[in-house]
Amino acid sequence: MHTQLSEQERERYHRQIILPGWGPEAQETIKNAHVFIAGAGGLGSPVSMYLAAAGVGTLRICDCGEPELSNLNRQILHDDSRIGINKALSAKQTLEQLNPDIRVEARTDIIDDDSVAEIIGEVDLIMDCLDNFDTRHVLNRYALREHIPMVHGGVSGMNGQITFLHPPETPCLWCIQPGSPPPVLFPIVGATAGVIGTLQALEALKYLSGVGKVLKSNLLVWDGATMDFMTLPQKKNPACPVCGDDVA
Amino acid sequence: MPLTPAEIERYRRQIMIEGWDVAGQERLQSATVFIAGAGGLGSPVSMYLAACGVGTLRICDCGEPELSNLNRQILHDDSRIGINKAVSARQTLNQLNPHVNIIALPEAITDHTIAELAGNASLIVDCLDNFETRHVLNRYAVKKKIPLIHGAIHGFNGQVSVFHTPRTPCLACIFPPEVPPEIFPVAGFTPGVIGLLQATETIKILLGLGSPLYGTLLIWDGALADFQKIAICKSPACTVCGAQA
Repeated sequence: MHTQLSEQERERYHRQIILPGWGPEAQETIKNAHVFIAGAGGLGSPVSMYLAAAGVGTLRICDCGEPELSNLNRQILHDDSRIGINKALSAKQTLEQLNPDIRVEARTDIIDDDSVAEIIGEVDLIMDCLDNFDTRHVLNRYALREHIPMVHGGVSGMNGQITFLHPPETPCLWCIQPGSPPPVLFPIVGATAGVIGTLQALEALKYLSGVGKVLKSNLLVWDGATMDFMTLPQKKNPACPVCGDDVA
Repeated sequence: MPLTPAEIERYRRQIMIEGWDVAGQERLQSATVFIAGAGGLGSPVSMYLAACGVGTLRICDCGEPELSNLNRQILHDDSRIGINKAVSARQTLNQLNPHVNIIALPEAITDHTIAELAGNASLIVDCLDNFETRHVLNRYAVKKKIPLIHGAIHGFNGQVSVFHTPRTPCLACIFPPEVPPEIFPVAGFTPGVIGLLQATETIKILLGLGSPLYGTLLIWDGALADFQKIAICKSPACTVCGAQA
């Protein structure tokens, strides 16, 4: 059901409604949008908080883990009082407090090829806020099959990367990162995840509002130590086993 | 003061960064940072500096959250409308990290009040929305020879630089003394991105890591997700940091 903005919502989102090209129409589109956020950790925190604050109508956030003390240097969705409860449930609590006008659905399941369809369902956009490529490739396969665009973000140490995936117009995640590097416990600065997460939120809102240009077929790579940003063009791999020409 | 085992566990993932170490974490813990503004920029700056364990944050804002702030000022929510922003910030930040000392300063920043407000801060983060007050911060930072992490936004665009005279130009070298205030459009993620770049620069300077944006203005176009670095020079005739000053 398509719902319109209330007077109070017009006031709440006034400062972005006056952005050139945005207007009440784009805000209403955002209000009626469904976004799936995979992961409620270092990337999921800024992504979900900024999408909630901006008024994305329905956020479905999924995480099967619980906040640990060593997460709290960066996972600002959670605090000491949430240790021991599920991260998605903790996220729902924080996000509903941040913006009571939106709907937040918490999913506490493990994402794999068998569960992904039921967990994600029908959404307008998928946000990849994960910390491992095995599960990212599960999202990638589902997004490709269902033609859902996906915003990929990844961080390590003081570095990060982001791109907007929407095959067949763009490469898929496998074209850019085939396979999975072995999982390691990598160092991570909170602000790094914050930078990449807010950039992901920006890509989501540009896509949903139709304002600006999203990072299609471009990988934005950031080096926090030098503050260097590089945009690297990405090509589809015709032999890609996920989105390539030979895939039936 | 040495870190407790619980603090070392809390900051473990950043202590692993090359050049950070427990010694770096202790340096953060003993640092005092002055955050001017608890709005769109001040929200991510203060939340991420608190989360990573900067020991004392002096956060200053004389305003109160309004409904139209809540699309981006994630320090505040509907329940905080009507209380001071710095006081609301302290509540959020204390909850986020109880190990950090938050000093809320619900006052206006002027040439008369700045010394007392900034106190013993070794670094200032500019999270303001007007250039008149930014120049107050700049004059004070030049006088005290402490770094000023500048951030500003407008619509989809933003900029960041690190001023630390005499090594770099000062704010007045490149921006005129007064730009008239206006109600400008701002999407939530714009101050989010710029504020987090400011938080990154703050941490780098406190720890001596990497190369901060000295003498460089980073300009961001959010609509295109395009970043540019511009070299900036001292103005010899600058009335704040120049030879005649």
